[in-house]
Amino acid sequence: MTLTAERTRGPAAGRRGRPGRSRQGRETLLLMLPALIPVLIFSVGPLLYGIYLAFTDARSGRNSVTSFVGLSNFGDLLTDGDFWASFRIGLIWAVSVTVLQFVAALGLALLLNENLRFRAFTRVLAMVPWAMPPVVIGLMWRLVYHPNAGILNSTLQGVGLLDHNVDWLNDFSIALPAVIVVGIWTGMPQTTVVLLAGLQGVPRELHEAGHVDGATTWRRFWSITLPQLRPVIVTITSLDFVWNINQFGLVYVLTQGGPGGQTRLPMLFAYEEAFRYGFFGYAATLGVAIVIVVLAVLGIYIGRQMREVS
Amino acid sequence: MRRPLQYLALLGYMVFLAFPLLWLLSTALKTSQEMASLTPTWIPRHPVLTNFADAFTEQDIVGSALRSLVVAVASSVLTVVLALPAAYSMARHRSLVNKIAIGWVLVSQVFPFILIIIPLFMVLRSLDLVNTLPGLTVVHVTFTLPFALWMLQGYVRSVPRELEEAAAVDGAGRIRALVKIVAPLLAPGVVATLLFAFISSWNEFLFALVVLKDPDVATLPLTLVKFTGAEGVVRLGPLAAASLLATIPSLAFFAIIQRRLRSGLLAGAVKG
Amino acid sequence: MRTRTALVAAATAIAALTAGCSSGDGGDGGKAGEPVSLKFLSLAWQKESVAANKEIVDEWNKANPDIKVEYVQGSWDNVNDQLVTSFEAGDPPDVIHDDSPALAGFASRGYLLDLSGKVPADLKSDIPQAAWDTVTFGDGKGGQGVYGVPFLQESQVIIANKKLLDKAGVSVPTPEDPWTWDEFEEISKKLTKGDTFGVAWPLKSPVNKALNLALNFGGTFFQTDGAKATVKVGPEEREVLQRIHDQLYKDKTADPSALGMGTADPLPGFYAGKYAMLPASVYLRQQVVEQAPSGFEWVTIPPLKGTSADQGAASQTLSVAADSKYPDQATKFISFFLNSTNQAKLAKGDWLLPTSVKAASDPSMTTEENGWNVATASAKNLVVAPYLKVNGFDEWKSKVATPALQQYFANKITLDEAAKTLVDEGNKVLERYNK
Repeated sequence: MTLTAERTRGPAAGRRGRPGRSRQGRETLLLMLPALIPVLIFSVGPLLYGIYLAFTDARSGRNSVTSFVGLSNFGDLLTDGDFWASFRIGLIWAVSVTVLQFVAALGLALLLNENLRFRAFTRVLAMVPWAMPPVVIGLMWRLVYHPNAGILNSTLQGVGLLDHNVDWLNDFSIALPAVIVVGIWTGMPQTTVVLLAGLQGVPRELHEAGHVDGATTWRRFWSITLPQLRPVIVTITSLDFVWNINQFGLVYVLTQGGPGGQTRLPMLFAYEEAFRYGFFGYAATLGVAIVIVVLAVLGIYIGRQMREVS
Repeated sequence: MRRPLQYLALLGYMVFLAFPLLWLLSTALKTSQEMASLTPTWIPRHPVLTNFADAFTEQDIVGSALRSLVVAVASSVLTVVLALPAAYSMARHRSLVNKIAIGWVLVSQVFPFILIIIPLFMVLRSLDLVNTLPGLTVVHVTFTLPFALWMLQGYVRSVPRELEEAAAVDGAGRIRALVKIVAPLLAPGVVATLLFAFISSWNEFLFALVVLKDPDVATLPLTLVKFTGAEGVVRLGPLAAASLLATIPSLAFFAIIQRRLRSGLLAGAVKG
Repeated sequence: MRTRTALVAAATAIAALTAGCSSGDGGDGGKAGEPVSLKFLSLAWQKESVAANKEIVDEWNKANPDIKVEYVQGSWDNVNDQLVTSFEAGDPPDVIHDDSPALAGFASRGYLLDLSGKVPADLKSDIPQAAWDTVTFGDGKGGQGVYGVPFLQESQVIIANKKLLDKAGVSVPTPEDPWTWDEFEEISKKLTKGDTFGVAWPLKSPVNKALNLALNFGGTFFQTDGAKATVKVGPEEREVLQRIHDQLYKDKTADPSALGMGTADPLPGFYAGKYAMLPASVYLRQQVVEQAPSGFEWVTIPPLKGTSADQGAASQTLSVAADSKYPDQATKFISFFLNSTNQAKLAKGDWLLPTSVKAASDPSMTTEENGWNVATASAKNLVVAPYLKVNGFDEWKSKVATPALQQYFANKITLDEAAKTLVDEGNKVLERYNK
């Protein structure tokens, strides 16, 4: 147990008694450099340019002239009721998918980490949603949810859970939960693999120490495994959240934002604004707004998690 | 007993996660008439292989799969090689560069990439990388790097610093401590990252669509889409057949490297 | 645009410095007589249609060794992303296959070449003016231009289960004497029995369908005052909406579970006899031929008539990119590609209607088999729908009209409420484009 307590103070403890700062600085630069080169060439430039657009009235087209408009796009944004309505849907979507996916994936990762039979085989099967080409995923789920030829309705009626066909993707109150299930399904393998790898990074001796203490499985999980896993959990849940906020293609294939706008995700707005209507400037503003909100949410979340660790 | 319950739960997960594979297989073996049945069955009543034949004769499945494989392997290896040192630095050092790096990682993942794609394309063109597989590889590396960095620094953080420092103090030397102590504990994380980079590249569509303009450099996702039409109407048979084949390499890749996930565990246990 | 170019140039300069290599554009304009190479982005996807496209391209390449055409197969789902990116980057395919609703936006942004005066006279006269109207748009600078050659058109017909019609004693009308909407509603009632509904309306994407059919009663949905367009939803516009709604909720002759379906989704139920009639685009006949169980008999019923049988037309088109280095060669290729012989082949491959008058009289377009005669005859009802020319229609459709019509057809709001939203919210959207 002492080892755990000591370890969790890791990052903070690292500050004391390190050799000279300049040496560390040089080392940092050296270690970062290989990754920095492609990032500087291919990512930073386009990204800064994209952010810059948010302050212009850029439109697509050969005849368009762009001028700097300062914060006026942001003013428009504040009164854009459609966007905020969709932002609310986007938050419901991203939070529920992230949370439910995390819980489900943690359960699966724990099972796959147990010494069960067919472990290698089940681990591979758990990767199916990830390995399937995205182009068939939406198609397949549409057939699963098909109101009269779908396997979901026929299976549920077969086991007596339903007595009539449900129109999953077109019912005003069921459509969003139905696409959330698909969201959970699609992202589970990534989360599971990451958590599994994290579980296996938990040094065995910690568990053995727990065994000696005579702690119950649940207690061991709660007081040893979970704290040990915390950095990985924070990492993957924050990334999942970001990806889910960014998602719209899958949902678009399933419902095209319908019924009645119930599943219109905010990124669909940004996409249509730029690629369909050609308002690059305003689309970039939407992007920047989403970035700000997401970073604020993540900042609070990561900050709190990190503070609890130390 | 716990065991039977565990098996039951595992079975539940497998049904939920893996049924589409069975569905793909079953669809790929069905005739068009059977696919349009109101009461679909899992086992085709009149199994046929024509969908596979159509898929292979009409589109260059094998060629595009090979190109996808080259890009996916190259970009996943490159990603990890570039990300690992940087991630170590992000987790262990505190400096301004690291803070900026973390900020960039998050912003680049959140900002809608559709707004980045046009300037990115222009950069690629000025480097003569449009229409080439190296061009696509570079793009894939750039866009999996944030994830890889973020993941790997999480794994580095979860390796107790004391283990590393204790070994270094023992006189093992810093590099040796890294190789002997940290690397084995990090191996599962590296494998997970490798897997992630491989699969994202293998399935990536939009950048491939924009970067690769000639049919003779098309990757597999671009080829699969050729079986889809307008308004959600598709040629389901050949699409299912080709998709089934596209699913296999990722699963096989995972089957092979998932042993590494376990040996990482063993290595971790041996070092104590 | 200028700032953008400067910025990208700066980014590029960094990139070029780092990599130590940079190069100019690939080609250097066409010198006379030198062989040139054109990229042709095609969106054909049906097996027969892809085969027909490739065959025609091969034929061209054999006859014109100095203008080599490279066939590139794209897809409808992603063509917009592909085109916007390549247009913006100044690197588009030379010859572009798309449809008329998409052309409007591209034309006004200056991405496409104005083909007026460039199309050879025989091709021009072979295609009726109504079809040319679907590709004539403002150029974004106050002028008008022709931004593509229309070649395939679709109309809405009704595909019906022959056995169910026979059992109910319903006879199939001729294109000369089509059913009126009233007759159609009566027949739907006759056909609704037990588990079978008379009709299924798949309305996942309700806007284009509703707007095209609204012309049956003269419903235009937009009125233009000079360059400024506004939305209008009067009695003419409401007619078709109300009639479909009545079938769903008053007559109960339309299956409500089909409402959320996309184009091809109702087919399994249709083959199984859950609904007797399916209003659909002519191209859906292909799916029926390919998938229907053996012994399934079906017929194509001509478009319905309101005050007229007019329907809004959308055409598939071939255009030349404004940035193409070889516009003349590209136009020459299009003129060959869309001659009447080739149009018949393409229409047959895609189960759509050729715009070419000569192609429409081809025996393969007038045979009774698979309803070709009915389909081809329906082309005479196609007129250009006003929405095609409305700047901002796309945004109105996606933000206002789709949700409002979905809510109306799901019986969540009344027609009055829907109409109010379409107009009020709609005009707000259009405001942005009228500036």
